[in-house]
Amino acid sequence: MATDTRVILICSGKGGVGKTTLTANLGISLARQGFTTAVLDADFGLRNLDLLLGLENRIVYTAQEVLEEECRLDQALVKHKQEANLSLLPAGNPRMLDWLKPDDMRRIVDMLKEQFNYVLIDCPAGVEDGFKNAMAASQEAIVVTNPEVSAVRDADRVIGLLNTNAIKPVQLVLNRVRPKMMANQEMLSIDDVTDILALPLLGLVLEDEQVIVSTNRGEPLTLNSLNSPAAKCYLNIAKRLQGEDIPLIDPLEESSGFGAKFRRLMQTKIF
Amino acid sequence: MNSKPQKIIVNIQDCKYPSWKVCLRNKLKYLKSSNLEIDCKNLDLSCTDLLEVIAISNQSNCTVISVCSTSLKTTVSAQSLGYKSQFIIENHLNETLKINEKNITISKTNFHQGTVRSGEYLESSGDLLILGDVNPGAKVSAEGNIIIWGRLLGIAHAGSKGDSKSTISALQLRPVQLRIASRVARGPKEKPQLGFAEQARIDSEEIIICPLETT
Ligand SMILES: Nc1ncnc2c1ncn2[C@@H]1O[C@H](COP(=O)(O)OP(=O)(O)O)[C@@H](O)[C@H]1O
Ligand SMILES: [Mg+2]
Repeated sequence: MATDTRVILICSGKGGVGKTTLTANLGISLARQGFTTAVLDADFGLRNLDLLLGLENRIVYTAQEVLEEECRLDQALVKHKQEANLSLLPAGNPRMLDWLKPDDMRRIVDMLKEQFNYVLIDCPAGVEDGFKNAMAASQEAIVVTNPEVSAVRDADRVIGLLNTNAIKPVQLVLNRVRPKMMANQEMLSIDDVTDILALPLLGLVLEDEQVIVSTNRGEPLTLNSLNSPAAKCYLNIAKRLQGEDIPLIDPLEESSGFGAKFRRLMQTKIF
Repeated sequence: MNSKPQKIIVNIQDCKYPSWKVCLRNKLKYLKSSNLEIDCKNLDLSCTDLLEVIAISNQSNCTVISVCSTSLKTTVSAQSLGYKSQFIIENHLNETLKINEKNITISKTNFHQGTVRSGEYLESSGDLLILGDVNPGAKVSAEGNIIIWGRLLGIAHAGSKGDSKSTISALQLRPVQLRIASRVARGPKEKPQLGFAEQARIDSEEIIICPLETT
């Protein structure tokens, strides 16, 4: 039984910025590090965490049946095939939105806390009831955003709400970073984003086509494609969450590509 | 009211002493009942702290008349206790800028510490002092002046009940929109120089932005 469970809300305000992808990859990475981890799909309207984890066809019961006491928690939890430390608690049907209250969310999370080291909550977009319910059960939060003005604006709104609800710490993940565009100042820079949001940066995730491939396969990158650029980013985020001191990648260095890397190798006298 | 016109300035942020309390007690030892101006330098003092300053002074038969500080928090604490206070801004050039009753009348001041984020709205029936940034998408409004110890990137409305003498001051003025009384202006396009506080006010019917006056 875990007593010091960390319950982390993964939220963004804006939709489609990469919350579910981060939840899935972080879940796999933490499980692999040996932590028992539950991922809770709190996006009842647009559930897809099960899809990303390739667990859709194994769902029998959901959070809804657990709350209605039609099944036990362990009957609803879906264990991951490869990572036994990871379990998914699937979202019930969208009609849950009509009756679900913050207290229901707290009940579910309290149950999960009894057996897991980590509970990751995949939050719905928006700042309405779905978000508020998910927030009610959380202790800390990761805010995901993209280097775009509208995503940053929504993230800022969400951070304000997290602050007033005493959620802490709140950390930032900047997803879909394109080093070339950043270098050419066609995209908000990391400083632009952290200047406004004023949060500690837990990590950057590079734009990576592999993310899309992995989504369609139902295999998060951190499961089998550890060498892809985004997978490394996700792994680093998981380690930093543990308190490990891992330097951030420098997107400018990434963008200078092979030439620069070659020069660095020469300088470090590997040849 | 001022029966003892002579005012003695006591600096309570003196590195010779382990804390401001010890410092104040020691310095008061040599003073016979006098009127004091407490110079808090950059100390961040709450109202409770200042009440203690006042209590310690009273024990030595001294009376606190006014407080000055480079800390906005201390200045505001003093204001809210009803003491005359002076807020001293030191900019990068080590010029000091004094804001006091002469150029800013602080009446019912509301104080907010922390970033005002997108979607948030702050309102004051007097002046509004913000220690933090006002982000894009946030709105702040005051019947009196607005002073932002940080960046103004959202919308600010001073003199919301029509007082066209109201001003908006910030360390960095880059608002989406500025309003003073019934005037509306879009924020400036060019980025302001760093390290110079700026002030927006109405000058011949138009909102203008100029460097905050140095006195
Ligand atoms: N780092 C990335 N690189 C490329 N595509 C990404 C990246 N992160 C997310 N995506 C894509 O963005 C879309 C939205 O991601 P998702 O995790 O579902 O967002 P959310 O849960 O916030 O709505 C998905 O199609 C996903 O594949
Ligand atoms: Mg999602």
